[in-house]
Amino acid sequence: MGARGILEELSNALEDSPLHRTGIAILSLLALAVLLIMALADARLISLAFMADNASFLLVPALTSVAATMISFAVGILGAIPMGLVRSFGPRLLKQGGLRAVIAAPLYGGVTSYVEAIRGTPALVQIFLVSQVSGIIFPGNPNIPFWGGVLALTLNTLGYQSEVFRAGFQSVNQNQIEAAKAIGMRPRQAFAYVTLPQGIRLITLPLVNEWVGLFKASALLGVIAVPELNWAAGYLGSTRSHPIEAFLMVSAAYLAIIIPLSKAVGYWERTHRIPGLGTPEPGRGRRAGLRRPVPAR
Amino acid sequence: MITVRDLHKWFGDLHVLKGVSLDVKKGEALVIIGPSGSGKSTLLRCINLLIQPDEGDVIIDGVKVNEPKIRPEWVRQQVGMVFQSFNLFTHLTALQNVMIGLTKVKRLPKGEAERIARFELERVGLADKADAYPAQLSGGQQQRVAIARALALNPKAVLFDEPTSALDPEYIREVLDVMTKLAEEGMTMVVVTHEMGFAHNVADRVLFMADGVVVEEGAPEEIFERPKKDRTKAFVGKILG
Repeated sequence: MGARGILEELSNALEDSPLHRTGIAILSLLALAVLLIMALADARLISLAFMADNASFLLVPALTSVAATMISFAVGILGAIPMGLVRSFGPRLLKQGGLRAVIAAPLYGGVTSYVEAIRGTPALVQIFLVSQVSGIIFPGNPNIPFWGGVLALTLNTLGYQSEVFRAGFQSVNQNQIEAAKAIGMRPRQAFAYVTLPQGIRLITLPLVNEWVGLFKASALLGVIAVPELNWAAGYLGSTRSHPIEAFLMVSAAYLAIIIPLSKAVGYWERTHRIPGLGTPEPGRGRRAGLRRPVPAR
Repeated sequence: MITVRDLHKWFGDLHVLKGVSLDVKKGEALVIIGPSGSGKSTLLRCINLLIQPDEGDVIIDGVKVNEPKIRPEWVRQQVGMVFQSFNLFTHLTALQNVMIGLTKVKRLPKGEAERIARFELERVGLADKADAYPAQLSGGQQQRVAIARALALNPKAVLFDEPTSALDPEYIREVLDVMTKLAEEGMTMVVVTHEMGFAHNVADRVLFMADGVVVEEGAPEEIFERPKKDRTKAFVGKILG
């Protein structure tokens, strides 16, 4: 088998298997990182010994970052589902008039302005604002940086997640709801057994995106003295005067958390896919149809 | 079994149903024909209250159902519906589609619901497709699952809204066969359809609607062979060629 044969085998493997594609991507990334670090060390810009000595220092900050993100994200989901509901069905209730419209109008107006406010201001500003306010309400409380930060991230992700859920609910076909009603389901049951399970399948990947975005935003919590990963990098950099090593290590830590998680969810999504529902698989459909036939050997 | 009296429905300024009355006896199959936009689908949706009528009565098995004190969900359990575009729940298998009304609406235990659902799938000839998702089934198979889903709730009547209009020609037969068998077993049915063969052979009565009113009603051979009204003649002439 010549070079062309190997290339062909490789390209077939890549097209056929998402696992292979993921593996290749991660291996390339690792190779790049190793090359970069070796080049920097070779140029005496960084000290490998420092990195080896201080890697374990990042463990607690990494857990802090993950905990802050996980808590905010989970609480965010609980709040974002009703908010997404208000955003997607509010306009219809407003049109119906009567008591429903009177209840729906302030809800819809409130949620919509909240979403606009969160999406229209920098997360950093939101974090400062929340931490100042919580500092005044609970003066001197040692837990305030962390919990104030979690609160700020929660308020932030609420704004984005509710839009993700709104999109999910709105993309559930209206004929599915009509069918649910036709077998005697109440509106609440139609939501719980049809809209919600279908909507969640449609938004798995956008939700993972939001998690990744939120995890990266947690790096901002360092500015209000939460000892998370980015804060740890600044600390190592300034107290031990090795800033490049510190930020390289922290970058690696972020990647080491984000890539496996998003790949794992992506893999789960592919293996639990229901035919005809959800985002089309990459590399299927149009591209698969254009695949060149493999010549006989 | 189903009586509709002087039913009116407006969508904004559009007067869609202008005083429609009809009567379907127990075990009867009524076919409704008419040009598109004549209000056939709206009429069906008013019978199971998917659309709330503005004036008139809908009476099911002696009970006036378009009353504030009657829950529409209760009415829809009495009167099943089969849609033009099947509307199977895309996230559920065929078996789960048939079961969900039994477990969630009728609150039957899972085992019993599954037994009934398998029986209904068997009845429409799809026992072997129980674990397939809608996207893995042909249009004809999907529509038969949808019929099984409606039958599973043991309704007093079933409404069919153009059940074969969205099907490729090769799948129409299998759906009509299931419906014919159902009519022979004595199910009360109201069928909006353009399938004249089915109307001719299976319907006890045919009702011709146009512009929101019932133009003419009678035995199939009367409507198709000896229509009295000019509008009926014109329509029947067009569809029979």
